[in-house]
Amino acid sequence: MNKVVKIDYLSRVEGEGGITIKIKDGKIESLKLDIFEAPRFFESFLKGRYYTDVIDFVARICGICPVAYQMSAVHAIEKIFGIEPEKPIKDLRRLMYCGEWIESHALHMYMLQGPDFYGLESAWAGREYLEIAKTGLRFKKLGNQILGILGGRPIHPVSVRAGGFYKVPDKKTLLALMPQLEQAYEESLKSIKWAAGLPFNNNIMDMEYISLSHESEYPMNYGSVASNSGLNIQMEEFLKYFQEYQVEHSTSLHAGIKKDTSVSSYMVGPIARLNLNYDRLPEEIKTAVSESGISLPIKNTHLGIFARAVEIAYAFLTSMSIIKDYEKPDRPFIGADPCAGEAVWITEAPRGMLIHRYNLDSKGYVKDCTIIPPTSQNLSHIEKDIYNFIQHNLDKPADFIKKESEKIIRSYDPCISCSVHLVILKG
Amino acid sequence: MKKPRVGIFKLTSCDGCQLSILNMEDELLSIIDLFDIAYFREATDRPLKGEFDISLVEGSISTDWQKKEIINIRWRSRTLITIGACATSGGLQALRNWSSLEGYKKYVYQSPEAINALSTSTPISDHVYVDYELWGCPISTHALSETLVSLILDRKPVIRKYSVCMDCKKKGIPCLLVSKGEPCLGPITLTGCGAICPSLEKPCYGCFGPKENGNIESLLRMFKNMGITQQECIMLLDKMNTYTYRKVRIEQSS
Repeated sequence: MNKVVKIDYLSRVEGEGGITIKIKDGKIESLKLDIFEAPRFFESFLKGRYYTDVIDFVARICGICPVAYQMSAVHAIEKIFGIEPEKPIKDLRRLMYCGEWIESHALHMYMLQGPDFYGLESAWAGREYLEIAKTGLRFKKLGNQILGILGGRPIHPVSVRAGGFYKVPDKKTLLALMPQLEQAYEESLKSIKWAAGLPFNNNIMDMEYISLSHESEYPMNYGSVASNSGLNIQMEEFLKYFQEYQVEHSTSLHAGIKKDTSVSSYMVGPIARLNLNYDRLPEEIKTAVSESGISLPIKNTHLGIFARAVEIAYAFLTSMSIIKDYEKPDRPFIGADPCAGEAVWITEAPRGMLIHRYNLDSKGYVKDCTIIPPTSQNLSHIEKDIYNFIQHNLDKPADFIKKESEKIIRSYDPCISCSVHLVILKG
Repeated sequence: MKKPRVGIFKLTSCDGCQLSILNMEDELLSIIDLFDIAYFREATDRPLKGEFDISLVEGSISTDWQKKEIINIRWRSRTLITIGACATSGGLQALRNWSSLEGYKKYVYQSPEAINALSTSTPISDHVYVDYELWGCPISTHALSETLVSLILDRKPVIRKYSVCMDCKKKGIPCLLVSKGEPCLGPITLTGCGAICPSLEKPCYGCFGPKENGNIESLLRMFKNMGITQQECIMLLDKMNTYTYRKVRIEQSS
């Protein structure tokens, strides 16, 4: 029983990739995620650029999560300069991240992955689903409005700078969002129920998941790196534990976490965050989670859409509380003198941990840098997930395997445009 | 009337300009009513088939495969529109054009020999005829909907051609260049964003590329008089529209 399952060009994911699975004599002979997104060499052209350019440039790695790139970069640069922004600035940055989580998660849940549960080719392919998609569009619009106010525009915002922002909004401007936020929050609690009730495949697997973890808040810009197997290290140590490695069934370079003698794949993203940081959620979100009937920790990787729904509700609630407490600071940023140094910073992009490392010279120009996007870290786990699924469905028709594999990939919300930093491209 | 068939294509890019289409939350449902979105990998499973009345192309040409693909797209398209700085101007990744590709590859990838990339990143118009070019990193959704609507109405799209400075004057934003001595690219940059950066007290960094007949050399002379080095001046232009700025400077000097 031999078959080849091939998807040339994945749809409803960000960026360009495909998958080839070869099954021979009832066994998986090879399984390969093909990434044919063209490389752009960001780390190369960042070399020699001034630190202010870094914040504008790295946004361009991803049109869907530019804030994440700016956040990891600006915090790393501030660490090198030895400055820490004031509380209102930290709060505004968190609000900005909320906007991005909302916009990115809503896009994925309603426009990209949602149609899978209704057997549709797109969010606008069915009348009934279109009504559901409209909820997503409302969420997305509000997330984008937050980004518009704080960043000037939702895609590639322009306001973030070392030490703070170029300009910060008045409280009045932010308060104008409150009625919409309250309404959206109520709606988002319902969407947790909607997501929890979707027809998921049972795909429970042993997995290691990693996210930031913070003593008092659900992680975005701060925290240490934690995993469900007991890892708990500082951000700057992470690269020592992180390793790229090669596996037999794939030509892609994989990212793993070093154990005593071995390297293993891990998952980052909303499921990892929710599982590891449930305690940090406000009571009303916890109630919504427990009423949904989904128990934590989540062990089924297909429940990403549920974790995203929870995080959208959390982001709306957090946005409201930040806006209520906001007092406009006297100055939008604190000054900084460039100096030489190296720093690693990790923030939680919508899709998971985003690692940046910069080495600057004494004038503030980049000597070298490393950028590790969440999808690069997840690729190996995605392959493992598909492998696991096919093992149990070897006798099924190729078309079924193809459809289900595509769904598995999509459930991770992969951002292939970002991920090409790490993988070898198909020749 | 039959709905025009629209294809949305991606080459080397960040997906941001395609996302702009999905970000037109209020207009999206009307767009779907008015147009048949026949190909859009980011949002639908529909396979690439047939011909298109309108093709929107995001991304620059940076691999051999894309050089062939853009000819294929052109063959299939009655009207081809480039969306964004990558497709219209080569994008940020065109910075490699002024450097060594081999060095670039070695720095990012462990096995550089496996990387299939051209030594340049170039705009679509270097390869095939382009009917309309939408500038910006990202594009203005207003310009996009204006272009789409005008194609349905069979008229020319009205896209403003003046500089960012005009936006600042209209909005009453104090001039960063004159009053604060900041190196603002507003005078030579095409309008489109609505002067977002100056409104946040940040100098314009040229997302929409050079305005036609802007006096680049004169602005650079002014920057130099402000104490900015030659090298820094070049870096100010070497961003998302580096390819076009350099091209225009050569044209202007000859």
